[in-house]
Amino acid sequence: MLSATAITRRFGRTLALDRVDFRAYPGEIHALVGENGAGKSTLINIFAGRLKPGSGTVALNGEALVTGSAHAALKAGIAAVYQSPMLFERMSWEENLALGGFGTRTLLNDLAGAAGRARTIAAGLGFKLPPDGAPVERRSVGERVRLEILRALSFEPRVLILDEPTGVLAPAELEAFVDTLRRLRAAGRIVVIVTHRLAEAIAVADRVTVLRHGRVVATRTAGETSAAELARLMIGDVAASPTKSTKARLRTPDDSAPIAVHGAPALVVENLTLAGEGRRLLDGVSFSVAAGEIAGVAGVDGNGQRELVEVMAGLRKPTAGRLRVVPDRQALAVIAQNRDLDGLILDMPLWENLLLARAVRERFARRGWLQRSSAMAFCAGVLDRYPIRSAGAASLAAALSGGNRQRLAVARALAGDPRVLVVHDVCRGLDLHATAEVHRRLREFAAAGGAVLLISSDLDELMALSSSLHVMTRGRLVAATAADRDAERIGLLMSGAAAES
Amino acid sequence: MGGAIKWRIATMATSLGAIASAIAIISIVLLALGASPLAVFSDLWQGAFGNWLAATDTLVKSTPLVFTGLAIAIAFQGALWNIGADGQLIIGALAAGAIGPALGRWPHPIAIALMMAAGAAGGALWGGLAGWLRARREVNEVISTIMLNFVAVQILSWAVHGPLMEPSRSFPKSVTIAPTAQLAFYLEPSRLNVGMVLALVFAVGCHLGLFHSARGFELRAIGRNRRASAFFGIPIARITVAAMALSGALAGVGGAVQVSAITHRLYETMSPGWGYEAIAVALVARLNPLAIVPAAILFGALDNGSQAMQRADAVSPVLVNVIQGLVIIILVAFDAVAARGMRGALLGDAEGAVAASDAAAEAGDA
Repeated sequence: MLSATAITRRFGRTLALDRVDFRAYPGEIHALVGENGAGKSTLINIFAGRLKPGSGTVALNGEALVTGSAHAALKAGIAAVYQSPMLFERMSWEENLALGGFGTRTLLNDLAGAAGRARTIAAGLGFKLPPDGAPVERRSVGERVRLEILRALSFEPRVLILDEPTGVLAPAELEAFVDTLRRLRAAGRIVVIVTHRLAEAIAVADRVTVLRHGRVVATRTAGETSAAELARLMIGDVAASPTKSTKARLRTPDDSAPIAVHGAPALVVENLTLAGEGRRLLDGVSFSVAAGEIAGVAGVDGNGQRELVEVMAGLRKPTAGRLRVVPDRQALAVIAQNRDLDGLILDMPLWENLLLARAVRERFARRGWLQRSSAMAFCAGVLDRYPIRSAGAASLAAALSGGNRQRLAVARALAGDPRVLVVHDVCRGLDLHATAEVHRRLREFAAAGGAVLLISSDLDELMALSSSLHVMTRGRLVAATAADRDAERIGLLMSGAAAES
Repeated sequence: MGGAIKWRIATMATSLGAIASAIAIISIVLLALGASPLAVFSDLWQGAFGNWLAATDTLVKSTPLVFTGLAIAIAFQGALWNIGADGQLIIGALAAGAIGPALGRWPHPIAIALMMAAGAAGGALWGGLAGWLRARREVNEVISTIMLNFVAVQILSWAVHGPLMEPSRSFPKSVTIAPTAQLAFYLEPSRLNVGMVLALVFAVGCHLGLFHSARGFELRAIGRNRRASAFFGIPIARITVAAMALSGALAGVGGAVQVSAITHRLYETMSPGWGYEAIAVALVARLNPLAIVPAAILFGALDNGSQAMQRADAVSPVLVNVIQGLVIIILVAFDAVAARGMRGALLGDAEGAVAASDAAAEAGDA
């Protein structure tokens, strides 16, 4: 039994965990749900030894664990997969796996052996691995999470902790992955899974514990609760609408989807091709997004979405093809997938983070000199309007919670009055509140005549928001017709790609 | 409110704490050796600031450290690890020393301006070369700047043995620069000159450039997160070359001031290692241009006071190097920012910065 008793943890003046008691039993999949900032990450970080609790104890099968030591946690058999993968950027994926687990039992690093064992586990899961010897640095978030999962499984852990692992998996991968979790359960292991998807928590887990504001509010048996009840427990005072399961949602047209009234094309991409890593990362991608349209791009993460965004942002030059924005490239704003690495400068104040957007920077620069006080006042206004919970325009971005970081990214993208918005997994890791808010902002932007390219691994989100849909597979973009707007058809396209490429 | 300001005050406090700790550790060592720390530090102080001559000489010795310190700060703010301020200073001095003898026909202010411009151009060339190699050829600037230091030393040596050697050819030194190209001493016998004033002007300029200009913001953004900077269309390559050239120019002006005010000609050795000491100065100053000035004066005072300390207490002046080294080690050991910067230098990615900010993020999450 994995148990936490009376865990309290503070960060400065903030109480992240308040006398939390938690129990998970062998042969159980236990889901941990809660809003952003509820304390889920803090709790699993304490289990994994990444954080030391202020007070309280952690025990595995009755034996107290040395807290605050990742090594001790691992030795006790607790392995964790984090939402932001912890990998060595400049090392190949084989080296990463060998360092993390596969190779740790031998004195010499056995890269080939590690890769072989990883392939065996990956094949069982239906995971696709990167090309031999590929460094991690250019891999997508989805590929990184898959590597992390393999690494954690290589320890044959007694306790496996997963922080939002399913967001980046394809439907077919998801099934195999859940099967793996069930096998672990059957072998008497403990699986703790952190998730925002309540339907998933109920479907996968045996029991669900709800955290709110650093406290455990309830633990429910999955069979005896509902998504609606969990949502209520999570949010507290606010009434939540019941979350439909993915399948049900996909089959019924969403009333809130925008009506397709489109203006002139605002973003036109013709035959965009990007060669690299010995293959075509983007292969003749053509599409256009009209003013007022939200165009969705579905697909398993790692099929060229990241490269498409990088080309849009001007970070990479395409090998061939054209990209046209009306009226010009300045009118395009991008919200990148990995907000901490690509979107924010954590040790800069918030007002300077807003200045990263060229349009904002140009607005507050006169002959090359920054109008600091007006930029700060502008930032204070943004913080107020969105609203972003922070200690003010001069506080550091690092002090923002995940949801507030994303609000800042959205606010910044819209601050430059763009005509075209390219967003990539914009709601990944956000809670219900924040997700609804971001969706509302996107709809408003489109309603006001903006064009949105919504790249997402969340089918629910794509179905709810987009008026046209494309599927990305192995660097190619296929337009989905109205007849294709069906979960199984799209899932087939996506997972088929995952198995082949 | 004012999180960033509080953070800045905290980092400055760490610097002062590191200095105090270094002095405390040295005191214990001195006590163990049977010497009186009080006497030693008092003599150190006397040697650095005890009288008019000592105090002005401290300022004179600090001046090149301000220039090289600013050079380091500008580069490090952009995560460009310029270890070549020494070479850039040498090339700047060489350029100024080479044109200096020919400036006799020019009025004093113009001759001085030409000296400084030559120094800046020489340093900019040397720094900019490393910047170009980094931006266009992906050559690690740590390696290229260190190598360019050796090249600079050899070029200077060749110049004072060869084309620039004085006519009598008895000693490896160049012809004296024209009197119009010389910066006068104000209150002789003190060697006080306008160099320190110039250094202050440059420090203010660097501060404004870094924190009040759009380009300075872009440079700091690159230094803190290259990937995000690239995503937002900041021209990384261009700014890398420009920042390294500017960094070199600052060191080069330091070299020109040294020739113009102090040596009046070129010798085989133009720098006792100011370019390296400047790294310590810049770290103590937290890469803040205005704080470079007091940090440089502190290091200049330690250098200057060490001789008096040796005479009075028979304590080796090496003790001062130990203090300087201790300050840096303590600072790096207790300071996440410096540690992260160094890790960033070694790994060349933003992952370190992200990991180091995790704790803060956790606080925000809760």
